[in-house]
Amino acid sequence: MTKTVLNGRLAFAAVMLVGLILPAVFERHMVDLLVYAGLYTIAGLGVGLLLGQCGIVNLAQALFYGIGAYASAYSTVTLGWSPWSGILLGIAISVAVALVIGFPLLRLHGFFLALATLAAGTIGTIFFFEWDWLTGGTLGIGGLPPLSVLGFEFNSPARFYYLVWAVVIILLVLSSNLVSGRPGLAMRALRDSAPAAEVMAVNIHAIRTKIFALSAGLGALAGSLFAHYSTYVSVESFTVQRSIVFLLIPVIAGARSIWGTVAGALFVTFVPELLSGFGDAHQMLFGIMLVLVVTLMPDGLAGIPARVARRFAR
Amino acid sequence: MSLGKRIFFGAPALAMALIGASAAAEPVRIGALLSTTGGLAGLGIPQRDGVLLAQKLINANGGVGGEPLEILMEDDGSNPDAAMTKVNTLVHSQGVKAIVGPTGIAQTVAIGSVTQPLNIPVLAFTGIGPAVENARNCVFHMTPAQGLNARALLSYAKEIGAKRVGVLHDSGYGQVIWGVMSKLGDEFGVEFVQVEKFELSASDATAQAAKVKASEPDAVIVLSSLATPFRNLRQVGLTAPIISVHGTATYEIVKAMGDAADNIVHAEFLIAEDPLPYQVEFVAEFQKEYGRLPKHFEAAGYDAVMATVAALKRASSNAAPDALCQEVRTPYQGAFAQYDFTAKDLGGLTLSSFSYSLLTKGKFSRLPFKASQ
Repeated sequence: MTKTVLNGRLAFAAVMLVGLILPAVFERHMVDLLVYAGLYTIAGLGVGLLLGQCGIVNLAQALFYGIGAYASAYSTVTLGWSPWSGILLGIAISVAVALVIGFPLLRLHGFFLALATLAAGTIGTIFFFEWDWLTGGTLGIGGLPPLSVLGFEFNSPARFYYLVWAVVIILLVLSSNLVSGRPGLAMRALRDSAPAAEVMAVNIHAIRTKIFALSAGLGALAGSLFAHYSTYVSVESFTVQRSIVFLLIPVIAGARSIWGTVAGALFVTFVPELLSGFGDAHQMLFGIMLVLVVTLMPDGLAGIPARVARRFAR
Repeated sequence: MSLGKRIFFGAPALAMALIGASAAAEPVRIGALLSTTGGLAGLGIPQRDGVLLAQKLINANGGVGGEPLEILMEDDGSNPDAAMTKVNTLVHSQGVKAIVGPTGIAQTVAIGSVTQPLNIPVLAFTGIGPAVENARNCVFHMTPAQGLNARALLSYAKEIGAKRVGVLHDSGYGQVIWGVMSKLGDEFGVEFVQVEKFELSASDATAQAAKVKASEPDAVIVLSSLATPFRNLRQVGLTAPIISVHGTATYEIVKAMGDAADNIVHAEFLIAEDPLPYQVEFVAEFQKEYGRLPKHFEAAGYDAVMATVAALKRASSNAAPDALCQEVRTPYQGAFAQYDFTAKDLGGLTLSSFSYSLLTKGKFSRLPFKASQ
């Protein structure tokens, strides 16, 4: 084992240890924000896979996030299903929708594809508003049951924290494996030079569609978990603005970094909260901070350790 | 007196003074969760003004049983997710006794899942909403439910003999009220001849307004909190009476209506130009503090704090949440209206709570009509 690998594992173990004790140390409000950061990491991971590995800008993630949330809400509150069934239903519907809309949309490229996903997200928000027999419209759906395993309910921020971050770590490991394997090579090939990848017998359209469906599934999972955490869903949580937040996560983190997604999610969760004390000016300040991060850190927050290491190596 | 004697007599006195000061400085905390930014800011900001006025008056009159009242103000940005985060802060970190707000119905339903299990009283600026709220007996409602709003508007339409009614509503709260109103036509002898919807974000609803006008209605009911539909209805030349829900009965929205603001009837609660006897004191205090007239959103903010403090005084400032919740559950004469928090909808507003006003050059004047059950 090389020294670098050993240091990396020690750092990972230290982070895990700190993560384990955070709910005991932090106030409930902070734990609540960490839960949201975990949920946003899952949704942002999907957007990051598309952006960082395939070069696709996805502005429709709130659509899949919403499908997951509403599938969970409707199946548990109206149909009386178990929460876990609702989560699976949400993922299945989202993946199906992603395949149906992704097949034609993903033939587009660049700005046109970004605009097409924006349109899909906007249409989704309108459907959430209009189909009030299903979504509750403006009133939303309340009274979702908390998730539980063998009678143990995840009904507080501290309990939900451990659930959501366990899911986050599993997904990050799986995504890292995906990216470092053959599919990852193919994705990067099509991102860097689609014609060259095609010459190498990479089925560009199939890969883009599969990753889009995977991203949708992650969005739906995040939405379902969000629904059971907040026990209430309304259309205001699934607007295009939320899609932009999900896109910001990999942009801030450094789009090509899988584990950096966590830093991006922490940024979009905590910074607006810290700035909220400035009242109406807080959105402007958040915008300024975004510009600073993107301008001063082209590799995103995930690039900071490498920068620091380079500086010390001089 | 020698130095030793000074210390001997002075130290206990100083200690007592410090203890007294620290006890006096310990305030009674209430959370105010409002939408002062975002889409609902037009309602949340006036509510905040009413809340702050109540706090000032209470503290000027001895506080809550001698303890100062501290209101911890949080802005949810008109977003239910943010409301959840903020309410967790207020309840678990700040230890508030009760919460006034939220401004929006989505936020109210959302935070109820946090406050209800703890029996923390919430005095929300919304009417009772979806079925899940029926089981929440510590979430009180300071404004009318959708069904009551719909009935108040149709009562006036019936009063003026309008049988063919057009409806122009937005895709947000307007759609919610329309959902109830659409089932009440027969009860009030009204036919809805044209119903048009526009998006909340729309800057123009001329096409929808033209369709409503083309249906030649006896009156048009507008269900929105925006000035846009009123301007558009007048632009297409509508001369039929316009009846509006109370959401647009604010001086800011009326100003935004421009010339279109004339001859609009609002089913509302506080006509500050001609207040009811129980509203006179609030109107005078508000005008003295802010130099302008209040409307019912300011009154609701004021009432929510006053009703909470009245309950705190009855229950004692260190009462357990369920005891405080029980004390809120009583009739209360507010500046907005006479509440009955023992009612099934935990607000107790009725059709007779409404006043009807006519807009003339940006001023509201009281109409003699009163709706009855």
